[in-house]
Amino acid sequence: MAGVLVTPVEPAQAPLLARPHYREGGTSPLVSSLAHVPEALEVTMPFIATVLGPSAIAARTKELVILRTSARLECSYCVQTHSSVALDSGLSVAEVRALRGEESLEEAFPAEDERMLLGWVDAVAGTVDPVPAGAGVELREHFSEPEVVELTLLCAATVMLNRYCTALELPASPATLQRLAAEGLL
Amino acid sequence: MSAVAEAIAEGRVGERLWLYPNYHCNLRCTYCLTESAPGVPRRLLEPETILERAHEARALGFTGVGITGGEPFLLDWLPELLAELAQILPVIVLSNATLFTGRRLAALEPLGGLPIHIQISLDSAEPDANDEMRGSGNFAEVVAAIPELLRRGIGVRVATTLEDPASHDPAELDRLCELHRSLGVGDEDHVVRPVIRRGRAAAGGMGVPAGADELDPELTITADGAFASPFGPTVRAGALDTDLLVTRTTSPLAVPAGALVRALGGRAAGHDARLGIR
Ligand code: SF4
Repeated sequence: MAGVLVTPVEPAQAPLLARPHYREGGTSPLVSSLAHVPEALEVTMPFIATVLGPSAIAARTKELVILRTSARLECSYCVQTHSSVALDSGLSVAEVRALRGEESLEEAFPAEDERMLLGWVDAVAGTVDPVPAGAGVELREHFSEPEVVELTLLCAATVMLNRYCTALELPASPATLQRLAAEGLL
Repeated sequence: MSAVAEAIAEGRVGERLWLYPNYHCNLRCTYCLTESAPGVPRRLLEPETILERAHEARALGFTGVGITGGEPFLLDWLPELLAELAQILPVIVLSNATLFTGRRLAALEPLGGLPIHIQISLDSAEPDANDEMRGSGNFAEVVAAIPELLRRGIGVRVATTLEDPASHDPAELDRLCELHRSLGVGDEDHVVRPVIRRGRAAAGGMGVPAGADELDPELTITADGAFASPFGPTVRAGALDTDLLVTRTTSPLAVPAGALVRALGGRAAGHDARLGIR
């Protein structure tokens, strides 16, 4: 069930362009809300798959960016959904908690490259102020130019999703909530 | 040639652009796809919008325009719009023909001789059988209206909607054909089609199922977006069906036209003509 603003489009009512995004047994609240505007769904889902999905950058690194961004934006849908994805990507429960601001970030992430990256995420997504000039310079010690571009786009795209999901009050799927409950992450 | 023009020329997408100017109607037929009736939300398209889409349609390679609803002739501006549309592309307009008296009939005079056909619903040669589906007095109004239109040089087609055309009494259909011929409408201008199980017909358990696999792709513009068939933007329990929605964007027309070609235009021409209700 989606939030109060928008009812999810049920599978039997899925528009033609939305049908490939409906799987047997249901679909995500993101898809069933975007299905109201199929031409937007048609380009948004491949965009999300390209930017947030498997790429040249390790899944663990990408989940650091997504979960940290979502925690800074206080998007419960994305925090919950990506707490589960982060576990699948090899992050520990303690690391997930730290990214969510529930435990010390410094202790959970001692490696310099990951600390730099999290600092960059906080600079890009942690405030509505302009990103300070030179904030990402140190990133280049650990990440190539294409990687900096990809990680920054990932952070910015996550901000977009955070605002969309929060505004429409999309709920995480029952399967995600069940998983998080079992891990003590609800 | 654009992908849209190619799909139309090859028959993979219908050559006619359909538009729904309104959803309200003076009748309340038992099988109505759009749950039309006097008090329903009107979902209006402005005449300027319809003209703009028709111009775009011609530029994209469409060869005709269809107007449906609702009862379009409830809109006072419709006759004038039809005359303007006919300068752009040939027009077919679907009507229940119950409003063609007095000033409304007089307003149709300028349409004589233009490339416009009015497609009128008539379901039986027996007044009672027709009126059971379409409302009391409908038969008499329709048989009175058809000769009036023909007299004014306006083309008329008769559309007959039957619960199951295959098992329908042939003798009754013969009587209906005799009737439309006697009214001046030839066999080439008579179409027989099944009740479509959408809208009020679905709620009443009537008709044949009709989804993307059963219907010819025909781009259809409404106030709620673009659909893949004039049988697509149906209403059930007051809610618009979206299973045949193509895009919410209707302008520029190339957006929904291109999306329709992407979604359904890859099918072989004629593969989906099973229901024969284009
Ligand atoms: S089927 Fe046509 S005439 Fe009958 S209620 Fe619907 S729109 Fe009106």
